[in-house]
Amino acid sequence: GDALLPAPQNISILSTNMKHFLTWSPVIVQGETVRYTVEFQGEYEREYANESWIPICECSLITATMCNVTEDISATVAYNLRVRADVGARRSEWGTLKGFFNRITTSLTPPLMKVIADGYHLLVELEDMGPAFQFCVLYWKKGQESRMQQKVVKQVSSVVHLDTMEAGSDYCVKAQAYVEAINRSSSFSQTQCVRVQGGTSMWL
Amino acid sequence: SVTKIRSSFTTIKANIQARDSIRTLSILSHPHSLHKVKVGRCCITRQLFNFYVDKVFKHCKTEDSFVNRKISSIANSFLSVKRKLEQCHEQNKCLCGQESDEKFKQILANYEGLNVTSAAIKSLGELDILLDWIEKS
Repeated sequence: GDALLPAPQNISILSTNMKHFLTWSPVIVQGETVRYTVEFQGEYEREYANESWIPICECSLITATMCNVTEDISATVAYNLRVRADVGARRSEWGTLKGFFNRITTSLTPPLMKVIADGYHLLVELEDMGPAFQFCVLYWKKGQESRMQQKVVKQVSSVVHLDTMEAGSDYCVKAQAYVEAINRSSSFSQTQCVRVQGGTSMWL
Repeated sequence: SVTKIRSSFTTIKANIQARDSIRTLSILSHPHSLHKVKVGRCCITRQLFNFYVDKVFKHCKTEDSFVNRKISSIANSFLSVKRKLEQCHEQNKCLCGQESDEKFKQILANYEGLNVTSAAIKSLGELDILLDWIEKS
């Protein structure tokens, strides 16, 4: 029959490394395909534009129970998000995210990193985590932690040159990601050490 | 934030400027460009961010969902920066002067000389003038 369609429940945001996904539990209607539509509202809309909502066309009448809202959560302010269900001509009420979402709460993971000893050159390859990310790379000669050096990497190019190494010494490296837009850093990656021995690198 | 604002604006600039039918006037550059301002830059920046948030964006709604999403992105980024500038002002670090007050009055006069929708669309279309000026200061 035409019972009212329930609004989507368990609406939440999964946000990692400045990528934000709205998810919800499916609305079950036997033998029918349920479609969902998502809208967002920034702090600007709430305070200056009559609490208006903005549709996300990529998540309009979709069957998935997830929507990538990264492109629209593009300022460090509090956002509201909502989703509703449609089956044929039947439409549910809006289900709204409990509480606001601010990208400042995204979880930041340490960058994947590969340390390379290319002859006497200490190099590091860093994961491309997206345009919002910079990196702080710390490196030191093993046993000389007090003389740790730092390099800030603003844009991930293929490989970053850190230092010229002395033969027979071990060099260690660790890195953390930094997002200027929210002024937060990830924890440091695992430390990786390499050694130069007569021009051939050796993983330790 | 300015980088993100510029990238959002760049994607809708042609669309917005095509909606501006008044070619003979400028909101930000008439009679003298922002670039002539020497002192009180922080104050003007704060006043202009308030101006865009309070007066401009709300009158720029279009029939195009993509454009509306980008305007929302810009507006919320402006709001975030506006908040920071207000903190500076409260700590007396963003003081105004006669020149900056006169410049902002001129911009307001230019804006109020047009009907609200035309003025808002024109102001939005001139956003790169403001962003260029901010990045140069």
